[in-house]
Amino acid sequence: MMASPISCSSRHSPDELPGDPSSQEDEDCDYEDRVSYSGSYSSASSDYDDVEPEWLDSVQKNGELFYLELSEDEEESLLPETPTVNHVRFSENEIIIEEDDYKEGKKYEPKLKRFTKILKTKSLLPKRYNKKNRNDNELVSILKHQSNQKTGVVVQQRYKDVNIYVNPKKLTVTKAKEQLKLLEVLVGIIHQSKWSWKKSGKQGSGERLVVHGLLPGGSAMKSGQILIGDVLLAVNDVDVTSENIERVLSCIPGPMQVKLTFENAYAVKKETTQPRQKKAQSNTNDLVKLLWGEEVEGIQQNILNTPHIVMYLTLQLDSETSKEEQEILYHCPVSDASQKLKSVRGIFLTLCDMLENVTGTQVTSSSLLLNGKQIHVAYWKESDKLLLIGLPAEEVPLPQLRNMIGDVAQTLKFMYGSLDSAFCQVENVPRLDHFFNLFFQRALQPAKLHSSASPSAQQYDASSAVLLDGLPGVRWLTLPQKIKMELDTALSDLEAADFAELSEDYYDMRRLYTILGSSLFYKGYLICSHLPKDDLIDIAVYCRHYGLLPLAAKQRIGQLVIWREVFPRHHLQPSADSNTEVFQEPEGRYFLLIVGLKHYMLCVLLEAGGCASKAVGNPGPDCIYVDQVKTTLHQLGGIDCHINEWLTSSPSPCLSCADWFLTGSHEKLDNLTTSPILSRLPVTSKVATSPTCRILFGDYSLKTRKPSPSRSSGGSDNGCEGGEGVGLSPHTIPNAVWKQRESQGSDGSEESGALLKVTKKKATLPNPFHLGNLKKDLSEKELEIYNTMKLTSGPENTLFHYVALEAVQGIFITPTHEEVAQLSGSIHPQLIKNFHQCCLSIRAVFQQTLVEEKKKALNRGDHSGSTNSISSLNPVKEYGVLFECSPEKWTDQRKAPPVMAYWVVGRLFLHPKLQELYVCFHDSVTEIAIEMAFKLFFGLTL
Amino acid sequence: MGEEGTKGTVHLLCLAASSGVPLFCRSSRGGAPARQQLPFSVIGSLNGVHMFGQNLEVQLSSARTEDTTVVLLVGLEELTNIRNVERLKKELRASYHLIDSFLGDSELIGDLTQCVDCVVPPEGSLLQEALSGFAEAAGTAFGSLVVSGRVVAATESWWRLGTPEAVLLPWLVGSLPPQAARDYPVYLPHGSPTVPHRLLTLTLLPGLELCLLFGPRPPLSQLDPQLLDRWWQPVLDPLRACVPLGPRALPAGFPLHMDILGLLLLHLELKRCLFTVEPSADQEPSPEHRRRLLRAFYTLVTASHFPPEPGSPEEKVEDAAQRSQVPRACYLVSGPEEPGTGWRLVALQSGPRRLLLLSAQSPTHALRGLATHTLHALTPLL
Repeated sequence: MMASPISCSSRHSPDELPGDPSSQEDEDCDYEDRVSYSGSYSSASSDYDDVEPEWLDSVQKNGELFYLELSEDEEESLLPETPTVNHVRFSENEIIIEEDDYKEGKKYEPKLKRFTKILKTKSLLPKRYNKKNRNDNELVSILKHQSNQKTGVVVQQRYKDVNIYVNPKKLTVTKAKEQLKLLEVLVGIIHQSKWSWKKSGKQGSGERLVVHGLLPGGSAMKSGQILIGDVLLAVNDVDVTSENIERVLSCIPGPMQVKLTFENAYAVKKETTQPRQKKAQSNTNDLVKLLWGEEVEGIQQNILNTPHIVMYLTLQLDSETSKEEQEILYHCPVSDASQKLKSVRGIFLTLCDMLENVTGTQVTSSSLLLNGKQIHVAYWKESDKLLLIGLPAEEVPLPQLRNMIGDVAQTLKFMYGSLDSAFCQVENVPRLDHFFNLFFQRALQPAKLHSSASPSAQQYDASSAVLLDGLPGVRWLTLPQKIKMELDTALSDLEAADFAELSEDYYDMRRLYTILGSSLFYKGYLICSHLPKDDLIDIAVYCRHYGLLPLAAKQRIGQLVIWREVFPRHHLQPSADSNTEVFQEPEGRYFLLIVGLKHYMLCVLLEAGGCASKAVGNPGPDCIYVDQVKTTLHQLGGIDCHINEWLTSSPSPCLSCADWFLTGSHEKLDNLTTSPILSRLPVTSKVATSPTCRILFGDYSLKTRKPSPSRSSGGSDNGCEGGEGVGLSPHTIPNAVWKQRESQGSDGSEESGALLKVTKKKATLPNPFHLGNLKKDLSEKELEIYNTMKLTSGPENTLFHYVALEAVQGIFITPTHEEVAQLSGSIHPQLIKNFHQCCLSIRAVFQQTLVEEKKKALNRGDHSGSTNSISSLNPVKEYGVLFECSPEKWTDQRKAPPVMAYWVVGRLFLHPKLQELYVCFHDSVTEIAIEMAFKLFFGLTL
Repeated sequence: MGEEGTKGTVHLLCLAASSGVPLFCRSSRGGAPARQQLPFSVIGSLNGVHMFGQNLEVQLSSARTEDTTVVLLVGLEELTNIRNVERLKKELRASYHLIDSFLGDSELIGDLTQCVDCVVPPEGSLLQEALSGFAEAAGTAFGSLVVSGRVVAATESWWRLGTPEAVLLPWLVGSLPPQAARDYPVYLPHGSPTVPHRLLTLTLLPGLELCLLFGPRPPLSQLDPQLLDRWWQPVLDPLRACVPLGPRALPAGFPLHMDILGLLLLHLELKRCLFTVEPSADQEPSPEHRRRLLRAFYTLVTASHFPPEPGSPEEKVEDAAQRSQVPRACYLVSGPEEPGTGWRLVALQSGPRRLLLLSAQSPTHALRGLATHTLHALTPLL
């Protein structure tokens, strides 16, 4: 019946989760003690064993878990102060009734409990709620007959809107079959649907959602405005009944405010039959509307009218049972604009069939005009099914769309095994709705996704997503050897799984899972990985899709536990080699465990079967494994300040800001090929006059002054502070920081002077082509200088931006958010945006080359004259575009605005291994891409 | 509707959109006209797709498959009221030559660039003078000298012809089998879409034709042969020098850098272009290959960076960030990885002029300089 775990709502009672992170950490350390990890952490509480993991109740029947808990302060900042009219207090009795209800309903005990040695002790709840509301000054019971004068005003209105905060990330999308679960766990409203209230609703359209109870600690109760007996009519102006409420709620993509519209209990009693006066929007648009919340009305309208669709169609039509729309196995969303795309599916089916017959190859995309708007439709055909994604060309260029559909297919296969099993099972529908709502949000409103980040980082993310999201790689942060080794050791220890409860001796039975490998993310950057490339990319694409990486980057995750069965292609593809000598993948099942803690995220791929025991049914997350992973993360807690520091003052190539080349240049650059301004830029006297230049040198001096990372306590503390200061809020601090630096006076300019020498020294580096041989001879000091390298040649650093993809290892490097934020500037963000868009088109050309190469490799035996292909430009290995830009607002009428020219160059390397490089640099010095690539890829290994 | 099929096969299919009756279907394979036709079921499906979409106010514009095969469904503007389909089919036969020349591997590039293919004669002013005088004497303002489909010289009025006919007329002359004189009815799609004009051509020298546009009169026979002699006899030598110019485009001895294997210079305001793959003809690759490279590069560059016409109003105004970042030049290196191999292509945009170069040897960092200098040298010519 009513399996309604209190879990997600009760977590935030003050005594369970301490407000400040430090004490939380303490608590977590205790946690480690429980799993008897080495005694380096002090233990404070002895009765910790009695508490079961918070996430346990969120585990679904099929064993999947998606449990996310933001850190306390994040939660607060996300939840704006709502002007509540009154507050709610519970008498003990009422609460206990609720509690009983809950316990009665909870018949289902998660299987995994047998692994834990824990008893459930949740009877403390009422006390907590009293505590929670300790600040409330106006106390009103939720029961309507107790409503006092003040609430009476509210009650007499027929309808009321209540804004509440919901966070779907705390829970997984529940099974459709389970009645109204989301309403309870997400909103905190208990509605007893089936039996007792049946007669009150109309059969066809689903019954009215009468509030029968409020979940203690739920958002509904917290709001204090929802009374028992109220009828929930709409969510964000989407009409809801018991029929569609789950589907509507499942569309909430992330933590947000939703507006609930209620018919007042009082009013209901009087006139239950009177039709509602609120404007009834057509149901179709509403899901989309819900997705983007209430506060962005304008944008919402845009998206509403933006035609976009995903469809999964079958090509095998059963002519016997000709049903309307029977070829549609799944489609999303339901909106007017998308309806049109759905109605012309016949075109897509015909094209798919006909073009394959005529040309012998499969159709990949088509373009059509709809209401004067160009729409690209990407095709993905598998056996007799066709996956279609249509998006407007304006928002998503074709090359990006083709990458996107590939990613979607790959992610779904990773999650469900095959497209068929993803789309053809009824219980997956709400999950897919959620999946594609996220997908479209990412595609159409990339900036919204990072709304909590700083504006500059947000801009950077939005403009780079167009390229980076399509790259077959993960963003990599190169760390110094020392830290790297530490990370490697920690992960290896975990993967070995040969101690404590993970070892087979402990319980004297076969272990449940073998750990195939793990990869560690910090703030969304991959910093260590022991996974094969394909697995790594599968996992990264999954994380990207669910927005986990940006989440870890900007918000400190309180706790994240994800568990699900996965189908990694690397392990499931039948081995091409039939030789029995070669390693054969065991016929096992695979599980993905992701544990996040603050900025860290550790993804672990587990294998059941093979060496470990076989998995039976749908096993949920095993506490021991989760704890062990968590322990590893705690173990790494000490070095996160070093990593932070590395993020801000990365060893990767120094960058210049485009604005530096424009400011101060009051004469027109008459020739394209020369730029006289440049030669004058680094002169120290300039430092005194131009504020931007000062920043430039301040920046440099910061880098040179950077303390060497060490584990010694004092040093690391300092480094930590510095790193935190710049790393966490670089966009707000700089001005203050730079001013401080100014006040330090001549010191700064001296520093910069000294630095100039360093740059000069760097410029005289030996030819990088010979560096391979010289490497041995380089002392560590020299290497350090090399590390803070300048990518470009000539006396100036003219590098603006870069993306380097190491396709074999599945990683890419690109400047960090912190680095870009330090540059600031007004032209620079535009340049970055343009760079990524240009790279996308360059990469599309490279991808064609790769396809041709693959074909060539296949046809090596029969050298048919296929080189005489239509697109005779292939194979393209290098592609560069020169751009010119000038300041946006140029007020000086007498002079022409200064012009700055820069190159965007892409280079594809097929040998010795597949690499792609995209760089953006000033036009002053002629660069040779190979040379730059050599420097960038140098030392880039997992 | 047009379609590009497997292995360089191109089909051009013209249907009456309302009835679905095929008006004509031309195919070419590897640059030469082919007899292979699309199966009728495919034709039917294509039309069905178009009709179905039209009913739902959705217009399918293109579709792509894996090996970059492109299907273009261009809603052809309805050929004026079709009264009799069969008769129209017969009438269309007259234009097969022209259509086939579009499908085949042409030496010209006007179909792609929508600019008139030109050549630069050694003594242009003399020819220009003779042409103007002759046209005036013959009673028309529209006259031009055409060598193998490329314009050597033309009167002011001729240059003012609209885009489609300015490209199409020389192209038509180049695609027709050689004849001493022709009197050919033409509709001018831009200037006179409903009333036919007469295109008179007179072969002055083998390959070199004089083209004149007339109204209903005078008939060809009334042109005084003496008029020809009077105007063209004095410039016979410059005329002779023009004859071999066709594929070269540039006068003999024009100083081109030896690295350049092919060039395409466009003047986007005048709508004229110079296109040649003759320089260093003894080197690899073959002229056909060079042409294909330059055509492909032009397509790529136009599609992704440079709009076909600078500042054309219908070009959708992108956001400010886009506008302030103006592409100026572009290069591409194609071929195997080993240094010193493969082709280099460079495009340079400067004012109304756009230059595309094909080179084999130049290192990438020298490409831009090469293009800049070449453009500088060519500027007086176009």
